[in-house]
Amino acid sequence: MIRLVGAALILFAGTMIGFLQAARFAERPKQIRHLLHALQRLETEIGYGQTPLPEALLRVAKVLPPPLAGLFERIAGELRSASGETVKAAWERIIGGGWASTAMRAGELEAMLRLGASLGGSGRDDQLKHVRLAMLQLQAEETAAREDQAKYERLSRSLGVLGAALVVILMM
Amino acid sequence: MLPVWLDIFPASLRARLDKLPDSVIESLEEVRVREGRPLEISYGSRYAFLTPDGLLSGDHREGYRTSREECQAFLEKLTDHSLYAMEEELKRGYVTVSGGHRVGLAGRTVLEGGHVRHLRDVAAFNVRIARARVGCSAAVLPGLLDPAARSIRHTLLVSPPQQGKTTLLRDLARAISAGEWNDPSARGWRGRKVGIVDERSEIAACERGVPTFDLGPRTDVLDACPKAEGMMMLVRSMSPEVIVVDEIGRPEDADALREALHAGVRVLATAHAADLADVFERPVLSALAREGMFGAYIVLSRSGSMVRHRVLGAAEAEEEAGRRRRSIRYGIPRDAPPQVPVHAPADVPVTAPPEGSLELGLKARPLPLIRSPASAEGGAAP
Repeated sequence: MIRLVGAALILFAGTMIGFLQAARFAERPKQIRHLLHALQRLETEIGYGQTPLPEALLRVAKVLPPPLAGLFERIAGELRSASGETVKAAWERIIGGGWASTAMRAGELEAMLRLGASLGGSGRDDQLKHVRLAMLQLQAEETAAREDQAKYERLSRSLGVLGAALVVILMM
Repeated sequence: MLPVWLDIFPASLRARLDKLPDSVIESLEEVRVREGRPLEISYGSRYAFLTPDGLLSGDHREGYRTSREECQAFLEKLTDHSLYAMEEELKRGYVTVSGGHRVGLAGRTVLEGGHVRHLRDVAAFNVRIARARVGCSAAVLPGLLDPAARSIRHTLLVSPPQQGKTTLLRDLARAISAGEWNDPSARGWRGRKVGIVDERSEIAACERGVPTFDLGPRTDVLDACPKAEGMMMLVRSMSPEVIVVDEIGRPEDADALREALHAGVRVLATAHAADLADVFERPVLSALAREGMFGAYIVLSRSGSMVRHRVLGAAEAEEEAGRRRRSIRYGIPRDAPPQVPVHAPADVPVTAPPEGSLELGLKARPLPLIRSPASAEGGAAP
C-alpha cells in the first residue's frame, strides 16, 4: 500500500518537474519578446521624448508584466534615491541579481548588462545605437529560444512523466 | 536644517559638505569640484579648501581630492542619469539643477564643423548656489516707476557676474506681479501680468513647468526657451504687461526687444557688463541704448559686504558712459579691500525726482567687486 502511494507521489513529482521545465521553455521567448517591447519603448522615450532615464524606466515598467516590471522599477527607484549610485552599478546589481527569477538565460543577461553599461552616459544618437544593438542581440536570442521551445517543450514534458515511470518500475 | 541643494552631490562629497558650520553654509556662494584636485568652496567673498575630515583649510595640499568615480557619479546625478536629454546644456557648458542652482562644467569639448558639439570627460564643476531674497528689490522699484502707464519703464539691469543680478531680477518680477510697488505715489496700483523667459532656468527654477521660487501671483514662466523666440511667444500667447529676460546681448534678442516694445509691453532685462561704459561699447546693447530703448538703468556694484545699486535715467546713463569711456579701466580682484564709494551728488545731473540718481544700500551677501576705479573719480575725469 505504502509502495503504491510512494509510486504515485514519484509519478506526480516527475510529471510536475517535466511541466515546469516545459513552462520555462515556453516562457523564455515570451519574456524576450516583452523585453524587446520594453526596449522599443525606451528607444522612443530617449529618442523622441528625451525623458530622463529614471522616468523612462518607470514608464517602461508600466507596460511590462512581472517579474521584468519589478526589475525596472527597482532600478528607477535606485536612481531616484539619494545614494548617488551610477546607472551601471545599479543596473548590474539589480538585473544581475534578479535574473534568476526570470526564464531567461545568460545570453539575454549579457546583452542587457552591456546595454546598462552605456545607458544614460552619452548623447542621444549614441544611446539609440546601444539600444538598437541590444535589441538585435535579443532578437537573435529570441529565435534561438523559439527553436529550443519547439524542440524541448514537449520533450521535457514527456521526459518528466517517463523518467518518473522508470524510477517507479525500478522500485517495484 | 541642511539645505536642499546638498542633495545634488554624491554621498561621499555630501558627507564632507555636511560638516561645514552653519555660518559658512549660510554664506556659501560656490562649490568647486575638480577631478584629482582639492575640493574648494567660496563663501562670503573668501575661498577655502575642504579637508577629508570636512574642515576648512587655506592650504590646498590638505584639501580632499575628488576621484574620477566621484566626478562620474556627480555628472550622472546632475544630468539625472540622462546625458542624452542634456545635450543642449552640455553644449553651452552648464546645467541648471532643481532649485535654480547653476552648475558650470569644463572638460574636453568635441567639435563638429568648428563648433562645439558637446562636452566629454567633464572634470570640473562649479556649483553656484542660488538664493531667493524676498524684498531685496523694495529699494529699487520706486526708481523705475512710470506714473503715466502705472507700470515700470523699460529697464536694463547692468552688473558684472556674481553681484546678485538674477536675485534682484527675480524679486523685481515678484514685486511687480504682486503689486508691491513700495512707493506712495503708486498706492492703489495693482500688480501687473509678468511674463518671464527663463532661458537658463535660473530665474524661476521651474520643476515640471512650475516655478520653485516665489515670483508673485500674476507671473507666467516660459522655461528653458531661447530669449528671442520666447519673448515673441509670450507676447502672442500670454498677453504680458511686463516681460522679464536674463542676459540679453545677441542681435536676435535686440530685434525681439524692439518687437515687444512696439507691442506695448514693458521690458525688464539684464546684461553682463562691468559698468555703463561697457553697455555703450557692446554692439547690440549700445544700439538699443542709443535708440532710447531703455528708460532706466540699474547698475549694481559692490563695496565691502554691501551690494549697492544706482538707478539712472537714459540721458544720465549715456552721459556717464561717455565720461568713463575716456578713462582707463581695469578690474580689481574681488577680495581687494573695500573701496569707500565716492559719489558726490553733483556727479550725475539730477533732472526730475524719479529720474534722479538714487543711491541705496542693499543688504545682501558679500559679493565680488569688479569696479572701475574711474567711478570714484567720476567728475574729475576730463
